Amino acid sequence: MVFKIKKVNKNFQNKTMEMEILKNIDLTIEDGEFLVLLGPSGCGKTTLLRMIAGLDFPSSGTITDNDVPVLNPSPERGFVFQQYSLFPWRTVLDNVAFGLEVKGIDAEERYEKAKNYIEMVGLSAFIESYPNQLSGGMKQRVAIARALVNEPDSLLMDEPFAALDVLSRHKLQKEIIQIWQQETKTIIFVTHNVDEAVFLADRILVFSERPGRIIQTLKIEQERMRDRTSEEYLDIKRKITGLLETNQKF
Amino acid sequence: MRKTIISLVIPAIIIVIWAVLTTYTGIIPSYLIPSPHDVFEAFKSLLMNGILIKDTVDTLSRVIIGFIVAAIVAVPLGILIGWSETVENYLSFIIGILRPIPPIAWIPFAILWFGLGLGSAIFIIFVGSVFPILISTADGVKRIDKVYIESAYTLGADKLQTIKKVVFPAALPNIITGLKVGMGIALMCTVAAEMIGSNNGLGYLILTATSMLDSASAIVGMLAIGVIGLTFEYIFTRMERKLNW
Ligand SMILES: Nc1ncnc2c1ncn2[C@@H]1O[C@H](COP(=O)(O)OP(=O)(O)OP(=O)(O)O)[C@@H](O)[C@H]1O
Ligand SMILES: [Mg+2]
Repeated sequence: MVFKIKKVNKNFQNKTMEMEILKNIDLTIEDGEFLVLLGPSGCGKTTLLRMIAGLDFPSSGTITDNDVPVLNPSPERGFVFQQYSLFPWRTVLDNVAFGLEVKGIDAEERYEKAKNYIEMVGLSAFIESYPNQLSGGMKQRVAIARALVNEPDSLLMDEPFAALDVLSRHKLQKEIIQIWQQETKTIIFVTHNVDEAVFLADRILVFSERPGRIIQTLKIEQERMRDRTSEEYLDIKRKITGLLETNQKF
Repeated sequence: MRKTIISLVIPAIIIVIWAVLTTYTGIIPSYLIPSPHDVFEAFKSLLMNGILIKDTVDTLSRVIIGFIVAAIVAVPLGILIGWSETVENYLSFIIGILRPIPPIAWIPFAILWFGLGLGSAIFIIFVGSVFPILISTADGVKRIDKVYIESAYTLGADKLQTIKKVVFPAALPNIITGLKVGMGIALMCTVAAEMIGSNNGLGYLILTATSMLDSASAIVGMLAIGVIGLTFEYIFTRMERKLNW
């Protein structure tokens, strides 16, 4: 799926005034790319991702998915939310099977398929568990499986690992790279964590503080899995950190 | 078990004081409050001649029918009000006006519309229980975290599927709370409901007993309504707990 984002601006109407959130975003996202949107808190990353998903709309400009304007959410664009979003009244299995259920696929087939994706995220032992019985990392794994079961062309992920401890976060980062390599999907991944961006991305877009603009585009060619201690890796991290700091207003 | 025992302490004390004040000392004359013994005797005879069971069944069937009709109207309407601001804007004023009107005030219209008897009784119970269910359901829907609804959309659900598979289960705890409150009010309406042309039911039993100064039988009728209420409360609380995800 090729996303084309053309001259997108986004304002939110506050009680008292109009607030500029995103300014003049121009961007093409290639098929199969792992794109990371990196920027400080409040710069509009979630807003941009939501507009790509069709959950929100630009104030001006256009967003197209394979030349079709994005007008509503679609199972072709899987979304993993920043906050926990599993349906608490459904088991892991029924959460993951949800997308197939609404498509009208019969129980036997949808459970078999859902189980495959649950296995992919390593939670086969928990299919009958309810979300409140899972750790934060497990919940996000289920959320990923739930989006993947629809076999979307792209996966939009909004800081999915932000609430996790470093070790679980590193583990899930590796897993998402494996899934991406295995399933050849376009992934758009939002984070404010520089290390996470450098570990994951083919290309990083660095955003300024609000109103968010793209201040830098970086291609990272290093082989996966990346070695977090290599010179090259640390160099890129240093460069991005410097960039973010010089663009800090306060 | 311990909780059950504790909850019975105060009723036991009340019965003892009640017996002391009536049967044993006669401080309170029996025409003001019948003694526990009188009430027990009245209970025994109402049980033996089958009236108590029959009146309980009659009241219960009216209450259940009125309550079910109320739930059938209030749950979907409440979901709609909570879901759509437009629907809420259209209905909030009229609901706000109708809701505070005591069910008993509807009696003249109940008679005009449904005649004397069953229809009117069911209507009064309906009026009493429909609003708590409606308000609680709408409130539950409004409180749903938007992320569940947006998740459903990104997973391919349309609006109707989202309402059925996400909005309804997410609001279910609030809906059940509404049903619980609605059932309580339905029972509170039984006397009013059975004032109109009924010749049976616990409300009717209380009214006739009172008019014949048989206050012991009236208390039996009151306690029977209380026991029915407690039973429903227990059932709904069990349902609420089961949903405790
Ligand atoms: N629906 C809305 N109405 C009004 N303002 C909004 C709305 N959604 C977001 N905003 C504002 O837009 C700005 C950007 O929000 P957004 O959630 O996109 O930031 P973010 O980059 O994802 O931040 P974070 O890293 O903290 O998640 C914030 O200042 C926020 O207050
Ligand atoms: Mg965000």
